Amino acid sequence: MGAGAGSGRIRLMVVDDHPMWRGGIARDLEGSRYEVVAEAGDGAQALRLAAATRPELVVLDLHLPDLGGVAVIRGLLAENPEVRILILSASGEYQDVLDAVKAGATGYLLKSAAAAEFRDALDRTALGEPVFTPGLAGLVLGEYRRLAAERAVPSAETPRLTLRETEVLRLVASGLSYKQIAQRLSLSHRTVQNHVQNTLNKLQLHNRVELARYAIREGLGDDVEA
Amino acid sequence: MAEDAGVPEDYLVALWRAVAVFRVAALAYAALTVSQNFTGYRHPLGGWIVLGVMAAWTAYTVARFPPPATPTPASARTVPLVADLCVTAGCVLATHWVESAARLVAGEPPITVMWLGGPVLAWAVAYGRRGGLFAGAVIALCNFLIHTPHSAYTLSQLSFAPGLLLLAGASLGYLARLAVRAQEALERGTRLQAAAHERDRLARDIHDSVLQVLARVQRQGLAAGGEAAELGRLAGEQEAALRALVGIGAADPEPAAGIRDIRVLITMLADPTVTVAAPATPVLLPAPAAEELVLALRAALDNVAGHCPPETRVWILIEDEPASVTVSLRDDGPGFAPGRLERAAEAGRLGVAQSILGRVRELGGTARVDSVPGQGTEVELRVPR
Repeated sequence: MGAGAGSGRIRLMVVDDHPMWRGGIARDLEGSRYEVVAEAGDGAQALRLAAATRPELVVLDLHLPDLGGVAVIRGLLAENPEVRILILSASGEYQDVLDAVKAGATGYLLKSAAAAEFRDALDRTALGEPVFTPGLAGLVLGEYRRLAAERAVPSAETPRLTLRETEVLRLVASGLSYKQIAQRLSLSHRTVQNHVQNTLNKLQLHNRVELARYAIREGLGDDVEA
Repeated sequence: MAEDAGVPEDYLVALWRAVAVFRVAALAYAALTVSQNFTGYRHPLGGWIVLGVMAAWTAYTVARFPPPATPTPASARTVPLVADLCVTAGCVLATHWVESAARLVAGEPPITVMWLGGPVLAWAVAYGRRGGLFAGAVIALCNFLIHTPHSAYTLSQLSFAPGLLLLAGASLGYLARLAVRAQEALERGTRLQAAAHERDRLARDIHDSVLQVLARVQRQGLAAGGEAAELGRLAGEQEAALRALVGIGAADPEPAAGIRDIRVLITMLADPTVTVAAPATPVLLPAPAAEELVLALRAALDNVAGHCPPETRVWILIEDEPASVTVSLRDDGPGFAPGRLERAAEAGRLGVAQSILGRVRELGGTARVDSVPGQGTEVELRVPR
């Protein structure tokens, strides 16, 4: 850790209840620009270690023995709102993955992804770019439709996708890379990425607003971490 | 564990309550009859005494019935029920002493009026059809005994009340047994549901562990190459199949009769080369439409398998819109030249046209197939709700 401070390596924490994966990820990242500063086997330990080691990036498995993914993500963001969270999951149930992303994770990758894919996802997460699998794009698309259908008269606060954003998300869900999407829609790579980012931001903002409203209604106003 | 496994309300309790309501109502009716008739009684005071006994017994039964069932000694149940039968029989027989034979012949009711039905109903609920018939027979016999001389009555006058009593005892007894069986079935269902919840929870843990290992084997195997790569590939196939099942969670493939969650049907098609993207909430279609849609998708997948190199990947996207359900399928295979589908159909080879487009159009939906050589093929199937 001491050596890492000056070398510009990115401080990473791995949260996974499987020692096999914790060790495997650390091995995969040997000699890379990531330094594994903490490994946690459960949610409570993850929150303790995050406070002690201040990681910039967290690789999080949603299947932990004690806390749910959403609780860990909220705890991590409360400790450090700048922390980037990449979900790395073996079995992610649709609803769990969607909830994790709404709570503030910016990326989702399956454990079956190849090592190079994983490294690429880490790089993008570290830059603050969203990492979407086609599956996650399908979930986000579905969530916007669910929110729109929830009320007969959509209120101004119901987050909505622009036509372009819908188009981009559908293409991500159909397995196209950002580069292929950029080509097809004659957009820059950066613009495609911004569209994806916006779909996530709106959903997370809506989630925070809903949470804050719930907290105020329940008289918990002081504890809200926006 | 079983959050919704509250003990279901005992159906028999509802029947006992109905019996209590009957007793109170019948007592009120008897009181009304006695207060109007007592001046004509052979023993007016006797009439009031019998009414008093009936009132006291009604109060007792309303408060203490149903008598305790198992596992208390059987007598704790039988004694109050036998007493019920005896007290009621006594009140009916007391008519012989209180009321004059002439008035009975003239059509005046026994002093208990309808109240004599109480123990018949109670025995029916407690012991079923046979119990109801037995108590009905005892009370019917008492009713028969007070109507003397029998020659003064017509056959229908003598058989009316007994017939009613036996019928009531038998039918309520049958209903009570039915209630007990329904109760048992419900409790068994609740227990099974609790067990299924627990099994689901355990299965989730196990699935996650298995997936962790499969994903690791796949990754390390492919990285190592050679024979290990073959193992990795096999692990990958199992991983994709199991993950598709787990992702959907505990989703019910048939949330209501004749309605299907097409996510469940379509995720079954997933394998390492086929990725499915879907909403987190159920996407519902009537069963026939859902099945046709899945057949159309299968045909499209077969088409990919038949015309594209083996490593071709496929992505399926399920979208749930207010008026329709859209399922898109894209492959990264070689694609085909424009006009080829039409030429194939004209040449009598109906594969794609018939099995994919035809099925969807028969559902009132629309289907679109796009392809550019070198950029794969896209199929979009839209089915109205």
